[in-house]
Amino acid sequence: MDRSTLSMLALLGAPTAVYANAYMSVEQAQAAMFPGETMRADVRQLSGEQISAIKKASGEAPLGPSLKAWRTSSGGWFIVDEVVGKHEFITFALALDAAGAVKGVEILDYREAYGGEVRNAKWRAQFTGKRAGAPLRMGNEIKNISGATLSSKHVTDGVRRLLATYAIVLAHA
Amino acid sequence: MIRRCRPLLGTFVEISVPEETRGASIDAGFVAIAHIQRCMSFHEPESDLGRLRQSTQCECVTVDANTVHVIRIAQQLHQASGGTFDVTIGRALVRDGFLPRVGLPHLNRFTGTMDDIEIVDDTHIRAHRRVLIDLGGIAKGYAVDCAVETLQAAGVTRGIVNAGGDLRVFGDDPQTIHIRSGDGGLTTSLTLQNMALASSCNFADRRRHRGQSLTPHIGTSRAPVLIDETISVMAPKCVIADAMTKVAMTDPSRANRILAAYDGRVLRYDERRAA
Repeated sequence: MDRSTLSMLALLGAPTAVYANAYMSVEQAQAAMFPGETMRADVRQLSGEQISAIKKASGEAPLGPSLKAWRTSSGGWFIVDEVVGKHEFITFALALDAAGAVKGVEILDYREAYGGEVRNAKWRAQFTGKRAGAPLRMGNEIKNISGATLSSKHVTDGVRRLLATYAIVLAHA
Repeated sequence: MIRRCRPLLGTFVEISVPEETRGASIDAGFVAIAHIQRCMSFHEPESDLGRLRQSTQCECVTVDANTVHVIRIAQQLHQASGGTFDVTIGRALVRDGFLPRVGLPHLNRFTGTMDDIEIVDDTHIRAHRRVLIDLGGIAKGYAVDCAVETLQAAGVTRGIVNAGGDLRVFGDDPQTIHIRSGDGGLTTSLTLQNMALASSCNFADRRRHRGQSLTPHIGTSRAPVLIDETISVMAPKCVIADAMTKVAMTDPSRANRILAAYDGRVLRYDERRAA
């Protein structure tokens, strides 16, 4: 069996290939991170120039040109973005106050893959760009895992990239 | 159950509590963990550990009461384990590339060992020789305990706090816990109530150096401990479960003898493979 056949099989639904954990919806995170405030969606399309500048400033390239941002009634920002790690696919929300300082980070959705499939770039690519709440048929929710510590470095890198994005794209909005 | 997850302690911290729990109580649990991170981060120059390594020989350094508490527990476990549990491993971890150099140009100046750490009082520590302390093998478990205590003080009677695999179930509801095997899959599950469980493994965390495999776990005679299978320890306090996985990796029977005093034990091999 060649690699593409294997990855097709994975796409068709190899059992327990992905463990998905949905923690919060976008709306729940907005209410928890900016209680009592109203939000105005302010979705941007990053230009090639902006993407290069973000990569230069943060060392991390955005996964796509779309920036999912909301302006809050107090002048803060709420941004939803994703990071792709070695074995995991994570949607997170970043809250910035009116001065651009980090108010909080919440993980919205955490999908973890196991086994040989995760090393296949094509198999992984299907997750890139998936929004929170997007259906992932081959998953099931496994709670409460004990094991060697997983690193949250990719999220930290993602937050750094969004801070650069804020400085380059949103700060003067 | 409501479940929330934030990136803290270099990993993912999950708090699961009943639906009726107020958001502010969950936030307080995360704040307790963030406080431990600020005190005990190896990476931050302004943390207690950062200031301790910048201190001069025999300088008395003011630290958080939690830091003193953790170092006291570390000293007890160091003594009980005949030196296997050692938080002065920082120098070896930096040397082997498992921790960053964090502005340490002269690693060979940090010659201090556990014997050089003097607890002056509940908020002061002095190092008789300069020492690189890393609490990576104990602080996560301690932070879990702090979050559980904070949640309980806020009136939350049951739930789970899981800091990247070191977790504690509090309250009388039995909870199913899955254990991740060395290669990343899930093999085992067990049920816990009012108990903490910590697991360790370094199958995916190794470096090759001059033909030798290095791991962040160093055993007797300073040799790296290679553990392909996950080792899990349970104890009522997560700080004990977390710290004792390091002893259990090297010497499970000794770990069990020590754990008896803390009402804990190492998960047996058949318990790990079952389910």
